[in-house]
This record gives sequence, C-alpha cells and structure tokens, in this order.
Amino acid sequence: MTVAADVPTPARAHLTAGAQAALITLIVGALCLALEPHVPWLVKWPASWEVPATQWVGAFLDWFLNAIKPAARLFSDLMAYPMNWANFVLGNTPWPILIGLVTALGWYLGGLPMAALGFLGLGFVLASGYWAESMNTLALVAVSVPVALIVGSAIGILANEVPRVKSVVQAVLDIMQTVPTFAYLTPLLLLFGFGPVVGLIASAIYAAPPMARNVMLGLERVEPEIKEAAIMSGGTRFQQLFQVEIPAAATQIMVGVNQCLMAALSMVIIAAVIGGFNDIGWEVLLTMRKAQFGESLLAGMVIVVFAVVIDRMSGTLATERQRYDNRVVWAVLGFAVLFTLLFWARLPNPSELTLLDPVAQAVDSGLTAFTQDNGPWLDALKNNSMFYVLLPLRIGLDQAVLPFTWGFQWTPAMSFGLFAVGAAIALLMAWRGHLTGGLVTLILIGMLETGIANLPWPFVLTGAAALGWVAGGWRLAALSVALLSTILISGLWERALLSLYLSGAAVFFCAVVGGLIGLASAVWSPVWKIVRPICDMLQTIPLFVFLIPVLMVFQIGEFSAFLAICAYAIVPMIRYTRHGLVNTPDEMMEAAIASGATEWQIMRDVRAPYAAPTILLGLNQTILYAFAMLVIAALIGTTGLGQSIYLALGQADVGLGISAGAAMAILALIADRMVQGFAEERRKALGL
Amino acid sequence: MTDANTPAIACRNLWQVFGQGAEKALTDALARSGDDAEKAAAELREHGFIPAVQNANFDVRDGELFVIMGLSGSGKSTLIRCISQLLPGTGGEIRIDGDNVRGAPKKKLTELRRKKMGMVFQHFGLFPHMTVAENVAYPLRVQGVGRKERLARAQEVISLVGLEGREDSFPRQLSGGQRQRVGIARSLAVNPDIWFLDEPFSALDPLIRRQLQDEFLRIQATLKKSIVFITHDIAEALKLADRIAIMRDGKIVQIGTPSDIVLRPVDDYVREFSKDVAKGQHAKVASVMRPGDAERGPDDPGLTVNMTLDAALARCMALYEPVPVHDETGAIVGTVNPSDLAAALQVDDA
Repeated sequence: MTVAADVPTPARAHLTAGAQAALITLIVGALCLALEPHVPWLVKWPASWEVPATQWVGAFLDWFLNAIKPAARLFSDLMAYPMNWANFVLGNTPWPILIGLVTALGWYLGGLPMAALGFLGLGFVLASGYWAESMNTLALVAVSVPVALIVGSAIGILANEVPRVKSVVQAVLDIMQTVPTFAYLTPLLLLFGFGPVVGLIASAIYAAPPMARNVMLGLERVEPEIKEAAIMSGGTRFQQLFQVEIPAAATQIMVGVNQCLMAALSMVIIAAVIGGFNDIGWEVLLTMRKAQFGESLLAGMVIVVFAVVIDRMSGTLATERQRYDNRVVWAVLGFAVLFTLLFWARLPNPSELTLLDPVAQAVDSGLTAFTQDNGPWLDALKNNSMFYVLLPLRIGLDQAVLPFTWGFQWTPAMSFGLFAVGAAIALLMAWRGHLTGGLVTLILIGMLETGIANLPWPFVLTGAAALGWVAGGWRLAALSVALLSTILISGLWERALLSLYLSGAAVFFCAVVGGLIGLASAVWSPVWKIVRPICDMLQTIPLFVFLIPVLMVFQIGEFSAFLAICAYAIVPMIRYTRHGLVNTPDEMMEAAIASGATEWQIMRDVRAPYAAPTILLGLNQTILYAFAMLVIAALIGTTGLGQSIYLALGQADVGLGISAGAAMAILALIADRMVQGFAEERRKALGL
Repeated sequence: MTDANTPAIACRNLWQVFGQGAEKALTDALARSGDDAEKAAAELREHGFIPAVQNANFDVRDGELFVIMGLSGSGKSTLIRCISQLLPGTGGEIRIDGDNVRGAPKKKLTELRRKKMGMVFQHFGLFPHMTVAENVAYPLRVQGVGRKERLARAQEVISLVGLEGREDSFPRQLSGGQRQRVGIARSLAVNPDIWFLDEPFSALDPLIRRQLQDEFLRIQATLKKSIVFITHDIAEALKLADRIAIMRDGKIVQIGTPSDIVLRPVDDYVREFSKDVAKGQHAKVASVMRPGDAERGPDDPGLTVNMTLDAALARCMALYEPVPVHDETGAIVGTVNPSDLAAALQVDDA
C-alpha cells in the first residue's frame, strides 16, 4: 500500500491553492529584494506619494464635531447631574454602611461566599486608604452602566425585531470591537471637553456593545418552539417579546450585564489618562510616573478587587440562583447602620487610613532589593530577548546583527548563505511532498532577513492578498488589499508595520506557549486546576493593571510592553486549545482506542484535527486581545500606531487619533477575517 | 357561514416554498406548467427553491382526528405550521370554518389563536421562567383574563391532564412526560375548537408514549376537538387516526382511513410503511365487507363493522361461506367472505 504523501512529487502539474499563493508571494518578495538597490520606492513608500489623509480626516472631524458640539455639551451638562449625584451619595455615605450594603448584596446574590467576598474586598479597599478615589471611580461606573445597559438592550432588541437592521448592527459591533479603546477618547475629548464626563461617555460607548451582542444572541437562541408557543398562545408581538422571549433569554442577557459592567470598569480606568478626575486609575498612573511601585501596585490591587467583586457577584446573575434567607440581608444592614450610629464620632476618615502603607513600602523596598539582587539576570533576560529575538524580527538580521550585540557583523555573504539554507530546506520539503510548506519556509526566512518593519510594501500587499485568497476567496483578498492600501497611502504604513511586528511577536509567543499550556491542561487535569484560576484572574483584571508588574521589574520599554501584551493575550489561546482538545466526542476517542492507537497517536490524529477550528478561534481572540493591549501598552513605551493614538490624545489631534485607530482596526479586522476564514474551512472539512 | 357540512379546516392547493422571492416564482412556475404541481415543483427545485409543501388538498371535519404521517423532511411539520399560520404559506388557501386565513391580518390571526386554536409542540415549548400553572394560564394572560380567574381555569386543565400537585413546579423540575402534559394543558387552556399537535409524543420513551397516547384518546373522546396530529410513527398514526394523510417529499401521496392505508396502499412507498404493521390489528371488517342483505344463518359468528380483521378471522376460522356483518344496532348491513379476510391479511412479499 502506498500513501499519497510519501510519493515524491517534486513537480506537480497542478499546484494547490496554497502553493500557488505562496509561490506568487515568494516571487514578489524575491523581486523586491533583488530590485531594492535600484528602485528604492519598492521598499519604502515615498512620502511624496502619501495623501494627507490624516489631516483630511482631522479637518472633517473637527468640522463635524464642532457642528454637534452644542448638543454634546448639553448632553454632557445633563449627564453631570446624575454623576454629581452619584458622586455625592457614594462620597458621603459612611463607609460602614456601604460595606454593609455590598455584603448584604453579596449574601442576597450568592450566599456566604459572595457576602465574604464583598466584605473582605471592600475591607481591603478601606484599609488601602484609596476609599475616596475608589468611590469616584465607582460613581462613574454607577452612571455609565445604566446608560450602557439601556442603550445596549435597545440596540439588541431593535436588531432582533428588524432583520434589516440586524446585519448593520452586527457589522458595526464587529468594527467597534476592533477599534482600540484610546481611539474613542480623542474625539470625545473634543466634544465634551476635559473632565469626568468624557470617561463616563467613553465607558458607556465601550460597554454598550457587549450588552447589545448578548441581548441579540440570547433572543436568537430562544428555542423556536418557545417562540411559536408564545405566538400560538395569542400574544401580541409586544407580549411575546417582553413576557416570553426576553425572560427566556435571561441567562444570556445576564452574561451581557456582567460583561457590560466589566467593560465599563475597564474603560473608566483607562479614561483616567485624560485626567481631571481624582479616581483610582489616575492614582495608578500618578504613582507609576513617580516610580512609586508599591503604591502603584496597591492602587492596582484595589482595581483588581473591584473587578473581582463586580465580576463574581454579577456572574451569579447568569447562573441558576438559590434563594438565600432575606433575614440575613436585613441583619447585615441593621448592623451596619447600628455600627455607624454608635461610632459616628469616632469613624476614621477613610482617606487617612494607612493600614497598608507599610505593605506598600515593603513592596517598594523589596522590589528594589529584588531588582538589585537579580539585576544581572533580569537584564540578561531582557537584553537577550531584545537583541536575539525582538530586534531581528523588527529590523531583520541584516541590521540587527552587529558586533556590539551578536559579536560579529552581518555580511551579504551570510545573507546568501541563509537563503541557500532556506532554499535547501524548501527543496527538501517540496521533495517530500510539502511544497507549500517549503515555500512558506522560504518566505519566512526572507522576512527574518529583512525584518517586519522593513518589509517591501508590494510584498506585504501580495502576501495579504494571497492569505486572504486562501482563507476566504477573492472577496477577502480584495478587501485586505483595499484596506491595507488606505493605510499605505495615508502615511501610517511604517507605524502599522511596527504595530504588526510587536503584536505579531506577542501573538506568536502566545500561540506557542498558550497552545502548549492548553495542551498540558487538556492532557493532565491537575495542570488545569492551577491554570484555570490564573486564567480567570487574568481575564478579570482591567487591561491597565497589567502594566504595573512588568513596569516594576523591567522598566519602560518594548520588552515590558511585549510582556504585558502576552500576559493579557495568552488566556484565550490556553482556554480554546484546552476546550477544543477536551471536547473531542467520546465516540471518536473510543473508535481510536479500539483501533489500537496510542495516547500520542490519538492526540495527533484525532483530537488535534478535531480541535483545530476551535484552536483557530482561540488564535483569533488572541490576536484581537493583542491589538487591544497594544494601544494600552503605548503608555509604557511602544512605537507604532498605539503610540500615535496615545500622542494624539495628548495633543487633542482628532485626525491622527482616528486615523491611527482606524488603521489598528483595519489590521485587526483583516487578521480576524483571515483566521475566521481558515477556521471556517477547517470546520467545513470536518463537516461541523 | 358555518354549518354542519363546513369542514373545520380545509386546505386548497396549499404551497409553502422557501427561498427569496418564492411567491412570484411559484406563480410563474404554476403558470408555465399549466397548474401541474409536479412540473412546477421540479422547476422550483431547479431554481434553488425548496417546495416544502406542494399543492396540499384536504379537509379536516368537525371533531375529526386527522393525522399527517411522513418521514423527517417530508414536509409534515411545515404543513402544520402553514395551517396554524406560524408560516405564511406561499400559495393556495387555508379555510378555518370556511374563512380563508392565509395572509390574514395579524390582528385577525391573533384573535383566532386566542379563541380557536391550541398547539402542542414536539419539544414542549414550555416557558422556562414560568411555573406549570403560569405556563398553562399564559394563553389567558395575554387576553387580559384576571389572575384569579385564569389560574382557576389553569387548575381545571391541569387536573384534566393529571398533573395536580405540580402547579408550582418549574418545567426543568419535570420529567419529559410531565412536561408534555403541561404542553397539552396549555394548548387546551382557552378551550379551542382546533387542536394542533406536532409530534407531541416523539420525544418520549416508548412506555410513556403509549400512556400519553391512551390519555390523549381519552381526552379527545370527551372534548371532540378537530385535530391535526403530526407523527412519523405509522403505528401511532394507525392507532389514533380517524383519517391519515401520508406525505412524501412535500406531497400528500394518500389520504384514507387506517384500513385504507393498510389494505389499499396507493403505491410502494405507502406499502413499505404498512409492511411491518400487523394489518389485522388496524384494518376493520368494514373495509372488506360487501354491502347488501344476507340471511341470518345458524352459524352467524356475529361480526360487526368495527371489529378488527384479526378478531373477525378468529371467529370464523372454520367457516367457508360468506357470513353476515352487523352494525352497532345489530342489523345486518353486508357480508364478508372469510377467505377475503385471510387474503387481506396476507403479507406481501413485494
């Protein structure tokens, strides 16, 4: 018996789609390399060809925003009322009563564990001395969340009722998911002026989509027979919707409420960068800038505590709930009031509490000691990663290999040697029947030689078109080229490549390491027992907080940004990999075992292929997460689009902010469509 | 409008075609083929449309239990959804008590559902957030019936289906059989004239299924609704039906009494179905009787028209001459030849 793959087929008459695409990309890349000395515009898009799109966008938006400014200011004045009110209430309620309220709420929602979580969480906040700042943050969340819930539900219901609106809403939500958070802020700043209202509105805008999405999803997933039963019961559309469909979708809608809360909190904290409001996010930024990492970490912990309390408590809404004894609720509240009254005169001002300051100082000194003791080692880690991995990826071996770092100078002869080795590998692989693999190897070696930031633009466009074509046909290829071309001619190309490089490196790292952790978790359940709470935790922490620990150890720089992105983006890769591998149908496993396959063979031949579409979706999420974090990481030193967005915020340059945001969104969108395309193809191939 | 002879439901040239712009495509296809349903359906399919119900014609009489039987994908669920107007239908008419309801305004349909129709679903379609009593009372709630009144009515129907004591349970706390009892009770809450049941017992265990079939017959014996009942199970169809319509690929291939279906299948497809059923248990003496008078002989085995063939054959094992058949009153209405009885029961090898 012969197996097709073992038959050497060096020159096939018909190339597969993948091989064709790879071949074309390779030829274009090789041509660019060869022509580079003679035709410099092949590599670097000449500045004179650029269209001042950023200015145009800026001019248009300035005009537009100015036109709607009066309405916006009115709205912002209106929003100031509930916000001031919430601020006043939260700021002036004695702390024992608030702690009592949260504890009672915890009991009502989830019994003893939730009550304890609420009590300890708020106790920690009180002890940290950040009570007042926390209440400011909470006031923002308390106002933005109802707005987001109402708007999100209205959009979700509207989309459900009017099929024509649905596809539009879906598309807009998809795009909003890819537009980086900071990009919202600049135009809002122009519209509403500096102040907390910007944070409020930004967080409402950011938090409404998850609600809308979940309402839509929930309504869509109501069993058709339940909907039909409502119709046959003679309900009007209004009755069907509000008496049957929405209550039946309650679980999914509560997931939306949970996500909405978390998104609002996350955005409120990010919005602190525009300042002007003494909230906890601002506190983190301030201490971070002053390099008071102990305080910074403490403030960060307060944010994490809030995130965990809000997440876990609202999470109980989405699960089947037991009823807990209401008398306990009243008892807790009564005790809180009694406590307040009894000790009214002696209640300490929460801002003056310094119970945890020694801890912060200990962390600070401990950290100093740690970095001093481990300095050489940490520096070596950082420098080696930079010099031997990140830098070559960014500017290519031909520029990164210097006597100063690698101990020798890269020469053209070495380039030639590298390509010769690459060609040999490619030939060998082609000989073994993996023509596409060989071609891709050659392309990758070429990219390593050149560096992602220096890739010739015709090569990038061709490569994107080729990938798009393989993943989703001509339409995706055309879309990719069209969208990338707008970046190219608008003068953001170099920054886009830099962003691509850093997120690409992080995604690659996450894919490999996260994939391995996911695999280990799937194979060996004790690993999952440890990994799972870590993943839960990482997903609960607001983006912003990831910066603190990396900054503490590695200072400002690209490597810290890289680590922060990885820490945030690795979670979906782990989760989806494990999920895909664990959920192989039992029947398939049994069939493989009955066929006499070993554990390893089952993994390779049955579980991995079956899990492939799920793992690809995880990769997709990882990519989107990496892009989201890339912009936040601009705070601690990255180059590229993220930096531009951040700078634009500082200069209130709407054109640059929106253009750079759009460029990020384009990159994320293309990556998303391509990976989804591959996943879809795999699913189809498996008949799922 | 309504008199004794108006059927409760009448379908005339009913079509349900899926696809963008199906209505126009159907009209065109019918015009081109000269109203030939076969040709029109073939043409529609060619153009990517799905003719799920093709040219259905039948009446359901007042108080009749009309079963529509077919395999999955034969269009039976689509058909019942057309009749109940959960699907709009693409062509033809559906008359309820003589009134065409296809394409009727929403308000009229809602009114019709509130007063005249009830429906039971294969997977029950219970509202997960309501208790048993609230589920059953829901059709009354949408009409604005007061809480006390509607719960009292719900209690009545709940007793009818034998679920007393479970009023305050939620659907998730019930077994499959109990859930379908709730579904049945809910569909009867407004005391409708027309009762749709879409594979009501298919999701249940065989034992529970039989129990519910028997109870369903008991309920129907007292309520006498006009029923459209969908099933894919020939034994269930034969057991329950007054008349059966057999569907295949969107077409109704035969309509007849259980005896007709068993003894006179119109084609191999129908024959294939009845092959495995014990014909003697389902066909009645009436289906092989020759009408006419006969003398009351000394060895009259006392056959009646409603006797199953099995029972009749057992009584005239030793007889070779035609024997008289009596109606319910005892009067002789015809004769049957014992050899015809035996012949009718013969299993075809084809």
